Amino acid sequence: MSALYKGMKGDRPPVGNPTSIACHDLMDLCGISFPEAHLNATAMAELALAGHELIGFDTVMPEYSVDQEAAALGCNVDWGDRNRMPDSRHFPHEDFSDIAIPEDFLEKPSMRVLLDALSILRRHVGGKAAIIGKVMGPWTLSYHMAGTQNFLLQIGIEEKEIVHRMIRQLMPATVASARAQFQAGADVVVLADHATGNLVSPRHYEEYLLPVHQELTRAIEGPLILHVCGNCTDRLEMFADAGFDGYHFEWQVDAKTAVCKIGHRMCLVGNINNPEVLYQGTPEDVYDQARYAIEAGVDIIGPECAIPLSTPIENLKAIVSAVHEGY
Amino acid sequence: MKGIEPGKARKIMSERLNTIKKAVINRKRKEIEGLVDGAIEAGIEPGRIINEGLIAAMDVVGAQFAANDIFVPEMLASALTMKLGLAKVKPLLKSEDQPSRGTVLMGTVRGDMHDIGKNIVNMMLEGAGFTVVDLGVDLTLEKLLEEIESLKPDILGLSTLLTTTMPEMERAVRVIGDKGLRENMKIMVGGAPISKAFAEKIGADGHGSDAGEAVELAKRLMGE
Repeated sequence: MSALYKGMKGDRPPVGNPTSIACHDLMDLCGISFPEAHLNATAMAELALAGHELIGFDTVMPEYSVDQEAAALGCNVDWGDRNRMPDSRHFPHEDFSDIAIPEDFLEKPSMRVLLDALSILRRHVGGKAAIIGKVMGPWTLSYHMAGTQNFLLQIGIEEKEIVHRMIRQLMPATVASARAQFQAGADVVVLADHATGNLVSPRHYEEYLLPVHQELTRAIEGPLILHVCGNCTDRLEMFADAGFDGYHFEWQVDAKTAVCKIGHRMCLVGNINNPEVLYQGTPEDVYDQARYAIEAGVDIIGPECAIPLSTPIENLKAIVSAVHEGY
Repeated sequence: MKGIEPGKARKIMSERLNTIKKAVINRKRKEIEGLVDGAIEAGIEPGRIINEGLIAAMDVVGAQFAANDIFVPEMLASALTMKLGLAKVKPLLKSEDQPSRGTVLMGTVRGDMHDIGKNIVNMMLEGAGFTVVDLGVDLTLEKLLEEIESLKPDILGLSTLLTTTMPEMERAVRVIGDKGLRENMKIMVGGAPISKAFAEKIGADGHGSDAGEAVELAKRLMGE
C-alpha cells in the first residue's frame, strides 16, 4: 500500500496482480476451478488466496472476469468453464436505449459474490496482503451494453451524443460497485476501462473519457489503479491528469518511458509480457523482464493483464523470485 | 455515356469514382449507396467501381490505420461503408469479370467473443475478391473441423484477441494438422496478442498484423 502512494520503500517492491493470475496450475493446486470461482464467494476467495499463499504474491484479487457488473446490469453472461473465460451473450442496449441502474444492483448475484469474497479475504489476509477489488469503468460497460463493435462504430461515425449519453448513464454503476468493494474490504480498487491503445486514439480518450474519469476519481474515495490495455504511451499523461493513484500497464509501454513520463505523478504497476514471456517464455525470461521493470522504477511488479490459463506456475514464481532480490 | 465526347465522359467517370472513394475514406455511410447507384446508372463498369472506388479507398484507410492516423472506430466505419457499396455492385458482376480468388474460412477461436478485427479482415478480403465464409466467434473445434471438411476452403483464418485464449488457437492448429486437413488448406492467424513468432511456433502458414497485411498474406498463400 505504501508503494501505491510512492511512500516509504522496503528492501524490495511488492508483487501485485490487479488483474487475474488464475491459471490451470493454480486451480489444480488449490482444488478450485472455473466457473465455480466466478460464482461462489468462498471458492472465489480461496483461489485468490492461493495466489498469495502458493505463489507468493503480495496482493489478492478475487475477480477473474470482466463481467460482474455487466451481469448485474442485465447481460446474459455465460460463465464459461475451466478452459473458457466468461463472456456476455447478448447486449441489452444495442439500440442505445436509456439505461437505468437497478436499485438492487449490489444485491444481484454476480455483485454479491464479489463483495462477499472481498469480506472473506479481509478476514483471512487483512493486514498481511493487499486486497484488490476490480470495477469496470463506463467505457467497458458500454461494450457490454451495446456490443463492442456497435459502440465503436458510433464513435467512428461521430454519433457523439449517443456515446456520451451511454457513458454518463453507466457511471453510477462504476461508482456504486467501487464504493461497495471498499466497504466490503478492498484496500485498493482497479478500475478497468478498455479504451485500449491501438484500438482507440488518445483523442477519443481525451474527448469521451478524461472528464468522466476525473469525475469518477473524485466521487470514489479510496485508492484507484487504472487499467487500460495496449500501447498507451501516447496518453500516459492524461491518465495522471484523470486523478488515478496508479496505472497498471502492458509491456508495450516501455517501463523506463512510463517512469520518465508519469512515474513522479502516479504509482506504476506491471508490466510483464503475457503472450511472449509469461505464457511462452521460460522462468529466466520472466526473471529478466521483472528485473528490467524493477530497475526502470516500476513500483509494483506483476503481469500486464489477466494471464493465459495455461501459463506455467513456475513463470509466475519467477516474478516473485526476481522481486525478492530487492531493488 | 452516350452523346458525351469520350474525354469528358472519362473525366466524369473518374470524378464519380473519386467521390465514391472519398465517401468510404470519410465514412459517409448514408451517402455511399446513392453514389454507387449513380455510378452504376452512369454506366461505369462494376469492376471499376469496386477497384478504383471502394478498394482504392480501403488502401488509403489501411495506410492511415498503419500510420496511427486513424484507429479502429474509423477503420470499422470505413469498412462498413465499403461493404454497403459492395453489396450494391456485387450482384452486377459477371463471374468471368471477377472470379473468386479463393475461399477463406474465418473464425474467432473457442472462448473468445471478440470479432471486430476479424470482421474488418472479412470485409477487406471480400472487397479483394475472395469468397469469405465467417463462422463467427467462440468457435468449437468440432464445428471448425466439420466446416473444413464440408467446405474445403483454400485458407483458414483464425483470430483471437485475448492472451487467455491463445492456447486454444495453438490447439486448433495442432488438431487440424493431426487430422490431415492441411494438405490443401493454408492457415493464417491474427489478433492483438499474436506475433509472427507465435504463428511460426504453432505451425501456422502466416500471420498478418493488420487487415491490410491479412489481405496481402491471403494473396500470397494463394500463390499470387
